[in-house]
Formats: sequence, C-alpha cells, structure tokens
Amino acid sequence: MFFETVWKLITRYGHFFTEGLRNTLIIAVVAVVAGTFLGALMALMRMSKVTPLRWLATAYIEFFRGTPLMVQLMFIFYGLPMIGVSFPEISFIPDFPRFMAGIVAMSLNSCAYVAEVIRSGIQAVDPGQMEAARSLGFRKGEAMRIVVLPQAIRNILPALGNEFVTVIKESSVVSVIGIADLMYRTNGVKAKTYNTLECLFVAAILYFITTFFFSKLISFAERRMAHERK
Amino acid sequence: MSGNELLRVEHLTKTFGKLTVLNDISTSFAAHEVVSVIGPSGGGKSTFLRCLNLLEQPSSGHILFDGVDICDKKTDINLHRQKMGMVFQQFNLFNNMNVLKNMIAAPVKILHMDPEQAKEKALGLIRRVGLEDKLESYPSQLSGGQKQRIAIVRALMMDPEVMLFDEPTSALDPEMIGEVLEVMKNLAQTGMTMIVVTHEMRFAREVSSRTIFLDGGVIAEDKPSHELFDRPQNPRLISFLQKVL
Repeated sequence: MFFETVWKLITRYGHFFTEGLRNTLIIAVVAVVAGTFLGALMALMRMSKVTPLRWLATAYIEFFRGTPLMVQLMFIFYGLPMIGVSFPEISFIPDFPRFMAGIVAMSLNSCAYVAEVIRSGIQAVDPGQMEAARSLGFRKGEAMRIVVLPQAIRNILPALGNEFVTVIKESSVVSVIGIADLMYRTNGVKAKTYNTLECLFVAAILYFITTFFFSKLISFAERRMAHERK
Repeated sequence: MSGNELLRVEHLTKTFGKLTVLNDISTSFAAHEVVSVIGPSGGGKSTFLRCLNLLEQPSSGHILFDGVDICDKKTDINLHRQKMGMVFQQFNLFNNMNVLKNMIAAPVKILHMDPEQAKEKALGLIRRVGLEDKLESYPSQLSGGQKQRIAIVRALMMDPEVMLFDEPTSALDPEMIGEVLEVMKNLAQTGMTMIVVTHEMRFAREVSSRTIFLDGGVIAEDKPSHELFDRPQNPRLISFLQKVL
C-alpha cells in the first residue's frame, strides 16, 4: 500500500521532484563554488599579517558559523530590501531576486566554513616544509605555491567534498522563502495529494541518493590521491 | 681569519617574550672553516643557527654575510639565503616532490637554471651520496638517513658559500648516523664552510677545526676543537663533557 502510493507519486509527480532536485543541486553547486573562492580569500585574510584584515575575517567566520542559516537567509531575503538593498529582476530568469537571495545566503554561509577548511588544511602542513623552502631562497608566496599548497590540497579537497554534501542537505531551508527546491516541491505535492509520509519518503530517498553518490565520488577521489603519492 | 671572513655576528640577542635565548653573542666564521656548536639543550644552539639565515629574526644585533648586513630591512634576505644552505633535524624534504624535483626545484625556479642541466648536476651530486637509484622516489619511501643525505645534496645544488646544519643526526636511528656523518665529513674535506649544531662529540672533535660551547645564551668557550676537548676551561663545559663523553 505504502509503496504503491510512493510509485504513484513518482510516476505522476516525478517531474516536480526532479525539477526540485535540479534546483537544489544548482544552488548547492553555485554556493560551494562561490563559497570556495570567497572562502579562500577569507582564509588568506584570516592568516594575514595585517591585523585589521585578520580581525575582519575572524569576525565574519565566527558570526556566520555561530548563527543559524535560516536567520541569515531571512535577513538577506526580507531584511536587506527593507534597507533598500535588493536583487534586480531579470526577465528571462523567473523569480530571480528570490533565487539570488537563496544562493547568496548559502554562499556567504558556506564561505565561512570553507575558510576554516582551507586554513586548517594549510596549517596542517608541517611548518618545516615552509622553512626548508625559505632556506633555499624561495620567496614566501612561491614557497606557498609550489610546496605548501600542493600538500594542503590533499587535506582540503576531501573536506570540501564533505562541505558540498552538507550544503545539499542544508539548502532545504531555502524552501521557506519560496525557492522551488526539492523540499519546496515535496511540500507542494504533499499539499496536493495529502500523502504526507510518502512524499517525505520520496524526498528523503532523493536527498540520500544524491549525497551518497557524491560521498562515494569523494572517497574514490581521495583514494586516487593517496595512491598517486606513492 | 680576518682576510677571508665570511660570516660575522655582532652583539646578537634573541628574546622570546621575557626569555632571553641568546645574549649579546659576537663571533665570526672564516671561509672553509668547519665549526661545531655544542652545548646543553635549551642553551640556544639551534636559535643561534636559525638566526644566521634569519629563519629566526634576531631581536637586536647584526649579522654580516659577505660584508652585507642581512638584518638590515633593505637587504633582500632571499638572495642571501640562496648562498646559505641549511640542513634540518627533521630533513624537511618536500613531500609533494620526488627526490629529483626536490633537488632541482630551487636552482630551476630561483636561479633559472636549464632543467636538463640541473638534472645533470643533481645526478653528479647524488652519486656522491650513493643514492642515484632513488631519484624517482618520494620522501615517504626513504629512510631517515637517506632523507638527510638527500637534504644535504639538495642544499648543495645551490652552490652555497656556507652550510648550516641544525642537529642533522638527532632524529636518526643510531645505525643511520654514520652514513650522514660520512657525507658531512666528505663535504668538509672539499673545503665547504660548515657550521654544525650537533650532539656528535666525535664529529666535533675530529672533523671540525673549531668548537663553540654555547650555554645559557652566551658563548662560554670558543677554541680549536682539540684544545677545547683536551683542555676545557669553563666549569660548565667540563661538567657537560663529563656527561656526554
């Protein structure tokens, strides 16, 4: 009976779920890519010798990691327009400001976590590596680029993959501001069919398949990297 | 030794917070001289050596290398470090590169040496330490003694004027100490200027021409090695030698 309903939901409303999943993935990919660039910058600031930059980065990271994503999202979507900051409408992308608010909130949030991933990845490299490079006459930036970063990448990439998986799951909160992600579509089908349990079951399975797939991909890449080093 | 003075240390002081590690040290090193620095742990030996190429920034004082004050903010320390090879206790081979890349990275990237030429040079040097079959190996596949021998020739790739050794055998298993000391001994015979922080008293006595006893942040005794070991004057040196010999 349960699985019959599930099957009916999949055949009849499958495209709702897949469209939702597609949007979830778009948001997660953009957020992690943007978060990685911003996070790298933030990590550099956090490790900077310039004290104000370091403070700024530390404050940012602590704030975004110490407040709920939901609050950050609401702040950007409802709060910012009240002080005159809003995203422009774009004719060929429906609901662009809404979508942007979700992506920006997820990116800014992800940035804080990625910054810490990158910082700890770099700091986990034995300081002796940097010293040896400097003792040969390499400048700091060069030593960073050819000696430290290639080693830090091995620490950073797997953690970055985990961050992506986390963002896929966390992104379900954007449904509360009406972005048509997987969670939002699930609620839609639920409201239409009253098959609450079955709908949530389908959503959970879709989320799980996605995150499981990416987790496996990450551990495969991790093994490959460990192998190359030999 | 004034004519061919290579490195001169003037009133070098290094403090970490309230702790004074080096207290007003002055000395100098001549070209082709092999000097051992001995002393109890915490006496400032490693800090002294690390100040010579500014891996540790001196709190005050001057270090003159080839007559240039490298503590001067206007001096480009990177240029001078190219001429000062350093060997570390923990080897510090670049883990992301094989042995060959470890050796040619600095000459190719910093001195813009032709990679083929650099490879020829690396081959010549690595034969001297008997590890020519390890060129393609990664540091994780080498023993401690092998790593340290590679670290020494990596530094030699830059044709340094002086080699600084920071306890090069302290992290090695006993049976590997000999092979590294042998390389250092051969290097000393080629006329390389060497400053060696070490616990190997036999090396200090037999290979180095001069030994400095550093204790409590000051040079307590500084003499030709045989004299220092045969007729120590300073009571702290006498008790130190009694403990280690």
